Amino acid sequence: MTKRRTRNKASVKASVGWISWLWIAKFSTVLLVLGTVSLIYLDAQIRHRFEGHRWSLPAKVYARPLEIFSGQQLAAGQLDYELTQLGYRFVKQARAPGQVQKTNQGMVIYSRGFRFADGDQHGRLVEVSLQSNKITRLRQTNGTSIALLRLEPQLVGGIYPSHNEDRELIQLDDLPNGFIETLLALEDRNYYSHYGVSPWGIARAMLANIKAGAVVQGGSTLTQQLVKNFYLTDRQTLWRKLIEAPMALLLNIHYSKDEVLEVYLNEVFVGQSGKRAIHGFGLASRFYFGQPLNELKLHQVALLVGLVKGPSYYNPQRHPKRATKRRNLVLSVLAQQGLISDIQKVKYQGLPLDLTEASQVSRYPAYMDVVRQQLQQLYPASALSSHGLRIFTSLDPWVQYQADRAMVEQVSKIKQRYGDIEGLQGATVVSHRDSGELLALVGDHNGGYAGHNWALDRSRQVGSLLKPVIHLAALETGRYSLGTIIDDAPISLPQPDGSLWKPQNYDLKSHGKVPMYEALVKSYNQANVRLGLQVGVENVLLQLNRMGVEQVIPAYPSVLLGAVEMSPLQVNQVYQTIAGNGFYSPLSLVRQVTEANGRLLSHFPFAVRQAASNDAIYSLQHEMRMVANEGTARGVYRYLPTQQKVAAKTGTTNDQKDSWFSGFSGQHVATVWLGREDAKPTPLTGASGALNVWGQLMQNLAYSAYEDIKPQSIEYYYLNVASGKAMPNNCPNGVWLPMSKKLAPSFNTTCGY
Amino acid sequence: MYNTQIARFKPLSLILLVAFLGACAAPSYGPVVEDLSVSARHSERLPSSSTNVYAKDSAKGSTNAAVSSEASAIVDTAQPTLYVAPKTEVTITAQPILNQVITPSPSPSPSPEVAMPVVQGVQLPVSDQAVVEQLLAEADQLKAQGKVTQAVIQLQRAQRIAPREPKVYARLAALLLSLGEASRAEQLALKGLTLVPNKKSYQYYFWKLIGASRSHLGDGKGEASAIYEAEKYK
Repeated sequence: MTKRRTRNKASVKASVGWISWLWIAKFSTVLLVLGTVSLIYLDAQIRHRFEGHRWSLPAKVYARPLEIFSGQQLAAGQLDYELTQLGYRFVKQARAPGQVQKTNQGMVIYSRGFRFADGDQHGRLVEVSLQSNKITRLRQTNGTSIALLRLEPQLVGGIYPSHNEDRELIQLDDLPNGFIETLLALEDRNYYSHYGVSPWGIARAMLANIKAGAVVQGGSTLTQQLVKNFYLTDRQTLWRKLIEAPMALLLNIHYSKDEVLEVYLNEVFVGQSGKRAIHGFGLASRFYFGQPLNELKLHQVALLVGLVKGPSYYNPQRHPKRATKRRNLVLSVLAQQGLISDIQKVKYQGLPLDLTEASQVSRYPAYMDVVRQQLQQLYPASALSSHGLRIFTSLDPWVQYQADRAMVEQVSKIKQRYGDIEGLQGATVVSHRDSGELLALVGDHNGGYAGHNWALDRSRQVGSLLKPVIHLAALETGRYSLGTIIDDAPISLPQPDGSLWKPQNYDLKSHGKVPMYEALVKSYNQANVRLGLQVGVENVLLQLNRMGVEQVIPAYPSVLLGAVEMSPLQVNQVYQTIAGNGFYSPLSLVRQVTEANGRLLSHFPFAVRQAASNDAIYSLQHEMRMVANEGTARGVYRYLPTQQKVAAKTGTTNDQKDSWFSGFSGQHVATVWLGREDAKPTPLTGASGALNVWGQLMQNLAYSAYEDIKPQSIEYYYLNVASGKAMPNNCPNGVWLPMSKKLAPSFNTTCGY
Repeated sequence: MYNTQIARFKPLSLILLVAFLGACAAPSYGPVVEDLSVSARHSERLPSSSTNVYAKDSAKGSTNAAVSSEASAIVDTAQPTLYVAPKTEVTITAQPILNQVITPSPSPSPSPEVAMPVVQGVQLPVSDQAVVEQLLAEADQLKAQGKVTQAVIQLQRAQRIAPREPKVYARLAALLLSLGEASRAEQLALKGLTLVPNKKSYQYYFWKLIGASRSHLGDGKGEASAIYEAEKYK
């Protein structure tokens, strides 16, 4: 090349002027071509990016929707709590979706529409009558009764992509009144008439800023702002400055003003929540006000629009005064431009910021952890973090709230009573009795969870929690009834290593011959080991396996006293089977997964598998009710009304390393564990520790009737427990026990033996 | 002369080419091509299911059609997704989360619809809970429209609201059996039985259903004993 150039120069030395002109021409041609190529390239980029303007939308995780129906019992304060969490506003008269009005009989709720996995549901105005927290009637405004009102589910979290951008897509139709006007008044007055860039706009903004003595308007158009946000990184480079304007022009040529505006509304950065970046006004509205965008009033709109200029500087949560000032300035601009009257301006400026009270930090870390784990088995990470999937879970916000509270408050009480217990940890699992759905998980002693989710990740010895399984295995043989006499005499067994294993009772006493139910009610170790050995350790483990414990457990006799490690979740699975009348249902938490547009992708089928006979379970449930009424678990009635039936069992391991409690009411199965991180002894037994967390939790859940459905093959007998024989009803000191008719005790006509 | 002109422009075209290639490769363009959206590569697509239990319902997209036809008041703001969604629905297997493994359910043989005159002539009593009757009616409607999965979801919803209502178990078990899920149907009917120790019509209904399920599963002996039980309550 150099050679040729020299030769050229040499050959046309005469006309130097012409050559330089030629070079200028060549150079400009190169520039022109380069420019054109760049422009074409930019153009292609813009179209590619814009037409495929697909944000990576995090999967949204929803709690269960609250179903309100006649006859339903709610807990005190529950309805108000749920509505508040959903961002409903309590008003004098409910006129629009998202509003509630209190009445003498209850409340009038204007529900929001929602796209459920089973179809769309429109917003409805319904009068809900309540009597001591029980729904007595649902009526529409025209007076007709309706059977059921399903509120929209609470959005409880998302599964974010690595760049942590979160947004909720909106369309122009979703904007509340005055939104576009406010936005354009502040950011780009001539939006609908300029060509993407606006020299006049810059001049006007400067003037306005000088007038106001502060920067109230920016000079670049919305189109330019979008280009900045959308196509360019934050790096302030000359190149960026150079291409911003041509890109804005190109964008303006290719797309309608409305299209560009819609993308802008979804792209704009309006806040930060921890690592999560809040993009778009749709999510901003949820984030700051807990409401969908279309429900916002003008003072809220003004705040959101005002935030664009500096989301962290004007952060209304952290700097409410600054944010209020900014909002009021926006309202003043609206008044100046004649968009609102001065009276309106004063009215809106006088309103509070109306920020949501619901915490925006994930309140359900332990639960979300399991949701995430389960979803990752089903979908690739990219699908979860970018396709806007909608995940419907069975999380019950009220139960979770109460479970968190019970853990925190009781742990604090325990520390008051026993002094600080180093590294005290705790976990709670709550599920629905007849469906096996997980309603709440507490993975940590303070309701949060960092590192370990104690409800799942760690297994500890379960102690006496295993005894009901021994009893079930015994009852299943058809040879044992609750009245069968078991010997509680001391017992010693040779271990595989030659040593002797001598389990002892908690009170270090032996209680002689006791009926089987009493062995459970008083949690006698010696009697229960003897019973377990009679039934066979293998059979007990087989029964445990049928109840959902799939790990291989060596059949040592020590297993009978709970020398087997299980997580609270596993324990809850076992008790779920007992509560579910002997039917195992796998604990589940994802109900359905749909695409962003509502198309159903997956659903979790409700399935049961019989793990114990009806007779055996009925007897076991009866025993466990007695444990709560008069046995080791009777402390729960410090929390519960006496008429509320529950069935439960305490668990304490050697040296009180673990304090367990598991049991169920008519509607809920719950398991609580307390213990030290390092598994060292604590001052707690099952009854003095975990019981209190369980009791407080159940106390605050809706009261539910515990239905006992007696199988035909079962009869109640009035037993003399010393002899194991039935006796006349008028004899003293007898006990009514359910037994299989096949095992009917012989009848003594006298009270004595 | 003409030739030399062309020869002269040769270097120019070379420069242009270099410039063009440069433009395409220039690192300074980097920010421009940054694309935050993630398009799914083939390997990242959602698992297309081999486990579909409800193929009859799902393949025809009846869901979407029905949803959009009544969707006017509800604004769904989401964009169409990028990936090619599975044509069929994935049924999450009823496996314990304890094991943290969800494997696709062993695909139930694409069985022909089990004829459901199994329990003809049995009129189950009206539930005393209005909400139950309403949800059952909705499920019937969905089933009639061919939206079987939605009908199942509706029945599961009814089960959560009224977990001790035998009629819900009866309907769900019957629907599942008609879909060829005989094992699930049998177990649900067994659970239903525990709720109705003194209700003859239900006992008859459940035992008949258990018999039909066992027949479908090829368990002749089990079927015979179920029919024997059913006769007791006829």
